[in-house]
Amino acid sequence: MTMPDFTLIAPQLIVLAAALLVPGLYFLTRNDKLVGMFSIVSVLAAGLYLGWMMMEGVTGSFLDVYAVDEFSLLLTGMFLMVALLVLLASLKSVERDRHHGEYYALLLAATAGMMFVACAEDLIGIFVGVELTSISSYALVAFRKNDPRAAEAAVKYLVIGGLSTALTLYGFSLLYGVTQTTNLEAIALAIGAAPTGGLLISVAMIIAGLGFKITTVPFHMWAPDVYEGATAPVTTFLAVGSKKMGFVAFFKIFLVGFIAAQATLVSDVQYAFAVLAAITMTVGNVVALSQTNMKRLLAYSSIAQGGYLMMVLAIMTPYALTGGLFHMITHVFMKGGAFIIVAALCYLSMGEKLSDYKGLAKRAPVLAFAMLIFLFALAGVPPLAGFVSKFVLFSSAVGFPGELVETQWIWLVFVAVINSAISLYYYARVVKFMYVDEGESIEPIKVPMPFMAAILICLVAVIAIGVFPEPVITLCENAATALMG
Amino acid sequence: MIPIEMFLGLSAVLFAVGAYGVLTKKNGLVVLMCIEMMLNAANINFIAFAAFFNDVAGQVFVIMAISVAAAEVAVGIAILLNLYKTSGTTDLEEINILRW
Repeated sequence: MTMPDFTLIAPQLIVLAAALLVPGLYFLTRNDKLVGMFSIVSVLAAGLYLGWMMMEGVTGSFLDVYAVDEFSLLLTGMFLMVALLVLLASLKSVERDRHHGEYYALLLAATAGMMFVACAEDLIGIFVGVELTSISSYALVAFRKNDPRAAEAAVKYLVIGGLSTALTLYGFSLLYGVTQTTNLEAIALAIGAAPTGGLLISVAMIIAGLGFKITTVPFHMWAPDVYEGATAPVTTFLAVGSKKMGFVAFFKIFLVGFIAAQATLVSDVQYAFAVLAAITMTVGNVVALSQTNMKRLLAYSSIAQGGYLMMVLAIMTPYALTGGLFHMITHVFMKGGAFIIVAALCYLSMGEKLSDYKGLAKRAPVLAFAMLIFLFALAGVPPLAGFVSKFVLFSSAVGFPGELVETQWIWLVFVAVINSAISLYYYARVVKFMYVDEGESIEPIKVPMPFMAAILICLVAVIAIGVFPEPVITLCENAATALMG
Repeated sequence: MIPIEMFLGLSAVLFAVGAYGVLTKKNGLVVLMCIEMMLNAANINFIAFAAFFNDVAGQVFVIMAISVAAAEVAVGIAILLNLYKTSGTTDLEEINILRW
């Protein structure tokens, strides 16, 4: 037996090793700045190595459990970006708390879990990666343990997360039972001959179980509570990181494993996802209209964005996957940026209530401008990144020009576009608060450096991707082809 | 040899009992125990299939699932203990600071 090629999963191993070293480093030095910087450096090192792998076009398979291709490289990079933004926002946010070693270790471990899911090609790999991220996030949500809201949010997240794990695992066990394998490629080969009854139950269990992770509508109730109760950087991490991981797991299972199933079953699954997508985006946007807490508003908007992304699972073409991946990447910067602004304001003991944003433009012009850009990007206003990615995603329902036009999903695009219009209302309300309304105070706000750095990264990315989308679209296109062949 | 339907039936019953408990019980610790029961139902499935197919992947999955469940309980009990410290209860129906 030859040694497996560990260099293939080196970025994950770097992050995992850093996660193990951080508590020891903190124990020896008791310096929170140092462990924070060490975490950032390790993420950057993993990112550099990943960049080299992308340049060289490295592909391969690690023990048939983790595959390295354009798809996994792109998503690993996206998760590293999420980790970088969250770490930058954490540097200041948690400086007044204790237990920094544990905090950074859990954050890095959760990131490693997401990166493992990005390249998993086996149900075992998906399951272990998802759980590594989930269990670390339960502890992260409970991080401010003396805060009753955090304690409550953590318990809710734990119970819902545990239930979702159990459903997913049961679904996986039935899928193993009907296909006799846990490898996704082998499942795709065996699924055509699998008995429909067992397969149907397993599909329902997997959709329900992983549906909790991506906050599909009947399974979304935990998200606003947990997002509100958790520390703001952790909320950022959950909204832009661990939710994307759920989508990646869905893409792997349903776009790789199920694509060869019986045609009737596939179209049933597609319809189920289409209906769930339509309900999810509508409920998310409509409930967001009446929110008065900024974190909750962004949580519901995040549920709605999840609904848009679910369109990929209904349409199931490489074009749709390109749009989905593109929207996931732009969403990291738009939603991540918005949540980091909330985190920065929370650090200054404000920013949770919507009314805190009144008159923000006078107190912190840069911050208000960045928020305006992120919110308009989320709503899909051109020429920002959100517009381009929504355009690619929604247009995939109609197909390429010249191709046979699929009229099946036009209603879904119709729902999605109406929802985008609804969402503009509540985003514009925040903008009105910032720019038109008078605040109670006109005292200028000074935002610490690390927050500014993270916000500027997002701002530049949102505008740059909006103006020059082609390179990113090409990356997503290659990734989609690599996954779906 | 015992037919595989027996094992699947046992695991389905175990899963249903666990799911019923998660949905109806108020005490956080009991809910956690019910979740464990649902996880073990899946484990029985895996072991039964693995023995039936003579395939080792199912057994590997079970070992992974057991270690994940252990980690989940370790974190879970700490979180419930913390809830008890901050609010003096482990009753899931009494915690309602966060709601829309």
